[in-house]
Amino acid sequence: MEPWDHQLPIYQQLADRLAARLLDGEPAEGTPMPSVRALAGNYLLNPLTVSRALQALDEDGLLEHRRGLGLFVRPGARDRLRQAARARFLGQEWPALRQRLQRLGITDHDLDWTA
Amino acid sequence: MTPTDDKAALIQARGLGLHYGAKRALDDLSFSVAPGRVVGLLGHNGAGKTSLMKALVGLHAVDGELRVLGLDPRRDRVALLQQLAYIPDVAILPGWAKVSQLITLVAGLHPKFSAERARALIRRTSVGLGDTVKHLSKGMVVQVHLALVAAIDAKLMILDEPTLGLDVLSRKAFYELLIDEWCDGERSVLISTHQVEEIETLLSDVLMLNEGRLVLGLSLEDIDRRFVALGHDPAAADAMAAAHPLLRYRVQGGSAALFDGAPPPEVAALGQRLRPSLVDLFVALTRRPEINRTQGL
Repeated sequence: MEPWDHQLPIYQQLADRLAARLLDGEPAEGTPMPSVRALAGNYLLNPLTVSRALQALDEDGLLEHRRGLGLFVRPGARDRLRQAARARFLGQEWPALRQRLQRLGITDHDLDWTA
Repeated sequence: MTPTDDKAALIQARGLGLHYGAKRALDDLSFSVAPGRVVGLLGHNGAGKTSLMKALVGLHAVDGELRVLGLDPRRDRVALLQQLAYIPDVAILPGWAKVSQLITLVAGLHPKFSAERARALIRRTSVGLGDTVKHLSKGMVVQVHLALVAAIDAKLMILDEPTLGLDVLSRKAFYELLIDEWCDGERSVLISTHQVEEIETLLSDVLMLNEGRLVLGLSLEDIDRRFVALGHDPAAADAMAAAHPLLRYRVQGGSAALFDGAPPPEVAALGQRLRPSLVDLFVALTRRPEINRTQGL
């Protein structure tokens, strides 16, 4: 398992890791999230930390509570995550990347667009 | 973790002291452990961790006030041990016994033990009920031990150096079982270790012992609030040092300074705030315990 970095709070880092997995469809929309204790055991974290991470994902509109059943991945969560990642790329990462490309004199002809 | 008169506290110690003849093993400890906590008891070898744990289960007479599950551990030892899940640092299981026989044995000894739950816990491990203890690896034996004590219907578990001598995979399996099967938000566990970094993220609270004294007793949340670590460039080193940090240390990609409380804003502006690690705090506080004595923790 990747170690936690020393800057962001751990609950935030866990929320980011869980969000990255949700974006990959793990768990799928409409299916249950793992329990707090399962996640705590898996990531070796205090259950309170895990609860805070799930709360953060919930506040981002990625999860939903089903009465008596617990937390589920909200339908549309992946799309929401993708939109957020796109907005982050276009708003923050792309301007920095564009500046670097311009400084290096790289144009779109220099880039290999085939996967 | 501050001492209160909270009736719900599972452990309540005030002015706790313990000595072996003239040697003082524990000196004036005051702390409490609330339900639903994962408390790390940290200290170098000889700091008093095992002495404290023995006092908590009534194996040592102490000075001061000590209540565990509302009982006086020394006077009410038998009643206390029936409500407590405890693995001492010298715990051994009989080599000749099969795991299923151990379960039957403990079921006969301990009124709050559930054989059914013990079998369910064992099934979560790589150990079979028909396995004989002497044929198990060290890591497996420790897991069996945990499964046995976790099957006791108790509010408090006390583990003295539970993973000492285990390889990293066995340690992870042990803590995974502990967190998943014991920590339900009501039960608490007190774990002593000197492998601080390994259990740091598991803990909700920390008790740091140094030479028999409590140099820090705080929740992790309060630690994050109170202590400020700043990562900084070499150019800022002199300014950092002038602000009297508790500790200066190296981090990936540079240096860092650890402060008790917020450093002056002009110093804070020179660095980037980091999460202080318990190891750094531990080094800072045990190297210079006088810093905390004057602050009346």
